Amino acid sequence: MVSLLSYLQAHAKVLKWVFFAYLLGTLFFDFLIDRHHPHFWGDSVIGFWALFSIFGCLGMIVFCKGLSHVWLSQREDFYDSEDSDNDE
Amino acid sequence: MMSSTIFLHPASYFILGALLLPLFTRFKMQKVILLAVPLLAFWQIHALPESFGICNFMGFELVFGRVDKLTYVFLHVFTLMALIGAIYCLHVKETGHHIAAFLYVAGALGTTLAGDYLTIFIFWELMAFASTFLIWYRKRKRSIEAGYRYLLVHTAGGLILLAGIFLRYQNCHDLTFAQIAVEGATTADYLIMIGFMLNAAVPPIHAWLPDAYPEATVTGAVFMCAFTTKTAVYVLARAFPGFEMLAIMGAVMALYGVGYAVIENDARRILAYHIVSQVGYMVCGIGIGTAMAVNGVCAHAYAHILYKALLFMGVGAVLEMTGKSKLNELGGLYKRMPWALFFTVIGGIAISGFPLTSGFISKSMIIASAGADHRIFLLVMLTLAAVGTFLSVGIKLPYFIWFGKDSGVKAKDAYWNMNLAMAFAAFMCIFLGIYPEYLYRMLPFPVNYNPYTAYHISETLQILGFTGLGFYLMVKYLHPEPKMNLDVDWFYRKGALVFMWVACKPISIANDWVGEVYRTVGLRFTMLVAKALSWFDWEGIDWVVDNSAKGVVEGGDKMRTLQTGKIQQYIGGAVAALMIVLLVVVFL
Repeated sequence: MVSLLSYLQAHAKVLKWVFFAYLLGTLFFDFLIDRHHPHFWGDSVIGFWALFSIFGCLGMIVFCKGLSHVWLSQREDFYDSEDSDNDE
Repeated sequence: MMSSTIFLHPASYFILGALLLPLFTRFKMQKVILLAVPLLAFWQIHALPESFGICNFMGFELVFGRVDKLTYVFLHVFTLMALIGAIYCLHVKETGHHIAAFLYVAGALGTTLAGDYLTIFIFWELMAFASTFLIWYRKRKRSIEAGYRYLLVHTAGGLILLAGIFLRYQNCHDLTFAQIAVEGATTADYLIMIGFMLNAAVPPIHAWLPDAYPEATVTGAVFMCAFTTKTAVYVLARAFPGFEMLAIMGAVMALYGVGYAVIENDARRILAYHIVSQVGYMVCGIGIGTAMAVNGVCAHAYAHILYKALLFMGVGAVLEMTGKSKLNELGGLYKRMPWALFFTVIGGIAISGFPLTSGFISKSMIIASAGADHRIFLLVMLTLAAVGTFLSVGIKLPYFIWFGKDSGVKAKDAYWNMNLAMAFAAFMCIFLGIYPEYLYRMLPFPVNYNPYTAYHISETLQILGFTGLGFYLMVKYLHPEPKMNLDVDWFYRKGALVFMWVACKPISIANDWVGEVYRTVGLRFTMLVAKALSWFDWEGIDWVVDNSAKGVVEGGDKMRTLQTGKIQQYIGGAVAALMIVLLVVVFL
């Protein structure tokens, strides 16, 4: 298993193209299937979930990382140091 | 209750096992007990009658066993998980750790089987106490502190639950644990619901979970991730299906948890936040409340316990072997811990809902039930949470531990029993994906759902593929940083400091002042009275009753040596006393 993983890592370029081919494949597959019982309008648009997930994913990264940097992120000893301040 | 029916109850095996464990520390007998008890319980749940263990206690009817299909599916996965967890912690030498784990499982099983609120409360508290020890056994300062916070939050939640139970008793003199109608719900029912929601980690009362679980022991976290929240899901599904509030909070919860999972650095904290997200699906399904949604909740709880435990086991193996769980300190471990990688990735693809894994057949059921109920907002929110799931747990976690920049951390693959437990859980993840009828047959309502439609497969493949593309594009922004993120536990962690300051400064000054007054005025007076009384006591009374007072003094000295001043031992003693009372009540 280790050698297989090392082999794949050595051929990352090939892997990348396989991945892109897979993405195209999923879009192509979306043309073929029949879509009865759509739950809402998005279900009847070809490739809707592809767009949804790429924008959802990018949006989530930007939003969460941004929020973390602007507000939430603190030193790891944030609570500890306050304790020791208090002890003094 | 007759002593013959006591061994119908699967929790009694775990309690008995916990009592026996310290007696059998030699000849590997302990390991035999560790495996035999969950196996026995797993076998036993098939033979449970619909109702058993009904007894009268001070005018209340306690129902220790009530079994229907909803109970059964949870019992099935709880006992199965107890077996996997027991295999995973076979190498642990501390008997106390095993006892805590067993009592914890007993609490979960007892709650699941309970037919009235009082019985639920007893086992509910047993669960909270026992699981606290799984945090404390890590024995680091941070863990001790986190354990106290965990215990305090759960005690508060337990009190809210108890208040709801008392109010309910006053309102209708009926403590039967059954479904509550949306129209007739009173304050009492909402208090009970809040008590349950605390254990289900519904924001804003969720912060105990990502606070405590990353500080628990490696093996303790594997148990904890399975039982507390899923027991809460069971009681919510039993009592509160169809409450609109739960549907909305559940969907918010699914996104909230996954948002934190995207930005956190500690691997076990990522997984802990991700529990919040996954339980969000279940809470949302309970809120939708249709037969299909409740089926989805049970299926998802079943599948989730297995793959989340698998992920905690995989990351726990890394922590056990390297002593590290922070992503920024790890990386490039694939050559050294390939098996842990292999199993964790199976957990990761299962949680993300790849076709042919258990996530694909369970999570989709809740999402589809939202769609079937024309709840488009819920459907979109839950699907977005699925995107975040694959991003954070499916790709980010394994990538930064096993690939990414090589950290040079020394490691080797985990002990055989850890790998065996992971293999077992991984097998179940794939097995359920290939053969969903095994799970669907156990669900409370007849299942009229086929996950393997062309449309669902196409949708899933797109979501996974393009989320992967998103990660590929943004990987340099996702690099782990040695930071922690604030959450609502800020309020009580900082609030506690304010409280301590108030307690230390103004109150203590006032206290000193009162003390001073007391010393100068009160003490002299008291001493005079005491002198007079003691003279009378020793010389008068003791003469009458033959020196018994001196005996009491000696007894008091002995009692004093028993008091070690360690709160762990007090609580342990209190739980032990509770268990003894319980056993006495049950046996008589």
